[in-house]
Amino acid sequence: MTHPAHQQINRDLLRPLMQTSWRFYALVALPAALVVAGLVSWFTQMFFGFGISGIRWPIFWGFYVTNFVFWIGISHAGTLISAILRLVNAGWRRPVTRCAEVITVFALMIGAMFPIIHLGRPWLAFWLFPYPSERLIWPNFRSPLVWDFFAINTYLTGSLLFLYLPIIPDFAVARDHATGLRRRIYAALALGWRGTPRQWHRLETAMQIMAIAIIPVAVSVHTIVSFDFSMAPVPMWQTTIFGPYFVAGAIFSGIAALLLAMAALRKILHLEAYLHPVHFENLGKLLLVMALLWGYFVFNERLVTYYGNGPAEMAVFWRTQRESFAPLYWTMVICNFVLPLSLMGIKRFRTITGCVIASIGVVIGMWLERFLIIVPALGHKYLPYSYGIYRPQPVEIIITAATFGAMILLYALFSKLVPIISMWELKAGDHPPADLIPPATEEHPLGELRL
Amino acid sequence: MPNWGMAVDLDRCTGCGACVTACHAENNISTVGAEQASRGRAKHWIRVERYWEGDFPDVSLKFRPVLCQQCDNAPCEPVCPTYASHHTQDGLNAQVYNRCIGTRYCANACPYNVRFFDFFNPSWDKPLHLQLNPDVSLREVGVMEKCTFCVQRIKAATIEAKATEQELKDGDLQTACAQACPSRALVFGDLNDPESDVSRLSRSPRGSKLLEDLGTKPKVTYLSKQA
Amino acid sequence: MKAVYGLYADGHAAQQAVNRLRAAGLGDAQITILSAQPMEDFEFGHIDKRSWMWWIACGGGLIGMATGFSLTWLTETSWPINVGGLPIYAWWPNLIIIFELTMLGAILATVTSLVASAGLGRSRGLYDPEVSDGAILVGVEDPAADKVGDFRQALESPSGARVKTI
Repeated sequence: MTHPAHQQINRDLLRPLMQTSWRFYALVALPAALVVAGLVSWFTQMFFGFGISGIRWPIFWGFYVTNFVFWIGISHAGTLISAILRLVNAGWRRPVTRCAEVITVFALMIGAMFPIIHLGRPWLAFWLFPYPSERLIWPNFRSPLVWDFFAINTYLTGSLLFLYLPIIPDFAVARDHATGLRRRIYAALALGWRGTPRQWHRLETAMQIMAIAIIPVAVSVHTIVSFDFSMAPVPMWQTTIFGPYFVAGAIFSGIAALLLAMAALRKILHLEAYLHPVHFENLGKLLLVMALLWGYFVFNERLVTYYGNGPAEMAVFWRTQRESFAPLYWTMVICNFVLPLSLMGIKRFRTITGCVIASIGVVIGMWLERFLIIVPALGHKYLPYSYGIYRPQPVEIIITAATFGAMILLYALFSKLVPIISMWELKAGDHPPADLIPPATEEHPLGELRL
Repeated sequence: MPNWGMAVDLDRCTGCGACVTACHAENNISTVGAEQASRGRAKHWIRVERYWEGDFPDVSLKFRPVLCQQCDNAPCEPVCPTYASHHTQDGLNAQVYNRCIGTRYCANACPYNVRFFDFFNPSWDKPLHLQLNPDVSLREVGVMEKCTFCVQRIKAATIEAKATEQELKDGDLQTACAQACPSRALVFGDLNDPESDVSRLSRSPRGSKLLEDLGTKPKVTYLSKQA
Repeated sequence: MKAVYGLYADGHAAQQAVNRLRAAGLGDAQITILSAQPMEDFEFGHIDKRSWMWWIACGGGLIGMATGFSLTWLTETSWPINVGGLPIYAWWPNLIIIFELTMLGAILATVTSLVASAGLGRSRGLYDPEVSDGAILVGVEDPAADKVGDFRQALESPSGARVKTI
């Protein structure tokens, strides 16, 4: 596929950094308001007590943990696209990698807020960090929540670096085109990048090592998040399938989020020349595969539970499939399975619009899936006297909405300050024009590229 | 080293609820009011579960006092990130309020649902604030709490016995619920002492453990109702 | 004179300039080449390729693994607390902590070695903003005064060269 020429790339991709119209402010106004509302809600909860949420005996985890798992799941977008496609040398990834990596970093940051938001005493969250304290007590390394702390921090560090390192050459370009204070900031961020062959080699080697390192970390992160559930003897939680199931679901929701981000960027920043329909088609095919994989895991989980026929497990099983949670359950199945399969499976519908509709469905469906894993089981454990019903309260709903606002806000701010498509990778993807390569001869069968 | 346990005779339990009241009084557990109770925020460290059997007019009623089983394989312990929930050497599942940051994972892991969260700071209408037990700390909002087998009484009795150089005899030390039970359905004692009441009752053929097949190794033996 | 350099529109011209500079007696370490993208298709893009980075990353991973093991072993055995009947040093859960710190060590070692070996954070050396518009810069920093003429000639030889001195 062809891209515009070098200077045109610079102009197009630096334009959002250099020019801001009123439309930008209109776009970020609502998300910013949602974020403020979320922060106010959270502080209200800390001030008045956790009781203003809908959490109750015995359903002690609700919307907050749903959001935690959901956003950590979304963060698997960047890893799959960037790292795996980088390693297998898929050329079509070039315009897409940074969009994906940005989603990862911001989704991780948002997701990582929730282990703090859902704490009864969030001001003591630092106790999860291993430091030598006067009370001679360390975190419990045998607890899944401490594994969460280590895994998410490792992944966040890795993703931030994975995002930042390839931006350095682009910051250098931005530095050269900017003036005043912006120039100084970009110069600082560019770390004095010049572009010598040595620097390019080191950067590409570092990216390769990071790509290899970040994939197992990403798999481990969501597996460890799934361990938050499978380590507790709750009916339908204590199953070995949660690890792979959650990872597959995470990649699934991540691709959907990426498709939405790409479609939005293409429209708003006029990147039609860079994000072609074939990019959406390829990601749409991946979405289809992940939808099938998701269906496979759900079928596995349910069939084995069904045959096991344990009374406590079957009670939770029917609760989601037939009883009070049935409307949410079947909405989830339609959003996660029926819709993506029909839209992405039929070539005619695998357009940008089709991808966007399927992705919105998947985002909704995956949020519901997390909710339906957590709440029906907790409300219906082993002793019937202690069954319960969860009713989310305004503070939880506002904070949930605020996370979506935060994602949009952060993404918009990022695309305003940093080129959202990796300029140097785009240029590096172009090979010299064919007329400059002499034809192959008997002596030099591959033609001579180097003079 | 003692290994504290309990036996509950379901034949003797009348469902009167004296154990619940005594526990609230002894352990400074606040009531939460009707509205919060209906929203599931009540904190009954020991509760009397009531099950109806049969249809009218052949109805029978079963009572089961459920309290923290102080499991030897407690699922609530490995999951606490700050060691607030851990196992002591005398067989108790300790809850350290000062160390709790309120993740509530322990409550989810507990199959008996005997762990409670402080949703608000506790309050007592006057003059009930005068009857608070000085031996038991008040828990602030955001921490988990549960039955401790009246660890303050255990500690006090142990220290007293050591100071007077006397052995703790079975029956010297009682939890508030066992002390208040009018039909002596609740029996507390040292399972390591084969002659103690609780040991003998635990060996009864009527005895079984609650949700034993989950592998939690609970230390409360329920003697089944015969009548 | 601080530097003499030429700006070229494509890799072929830049390669010619580099070859001429080598013919004029310069070693690769004394030639400065700047580009806005990695020029893998040309020989000059492969200068300075050998690197210890993979080994450093592995080393970082080993350090991370040792940190993870020490942290869990020392803290759990120094203050043994019984939780749920698990062993005091339980391998299965501690392997998770060890794994995460291993990967963190590898990642941090990679980034540190990148910053150090690429000379990032130190702003020095020859640069021309035209590089970011696609020009390839080939030049000599601190040239010997008597050789400047030779270098200028070498740099001007490819067609379309724009030679500058600072």
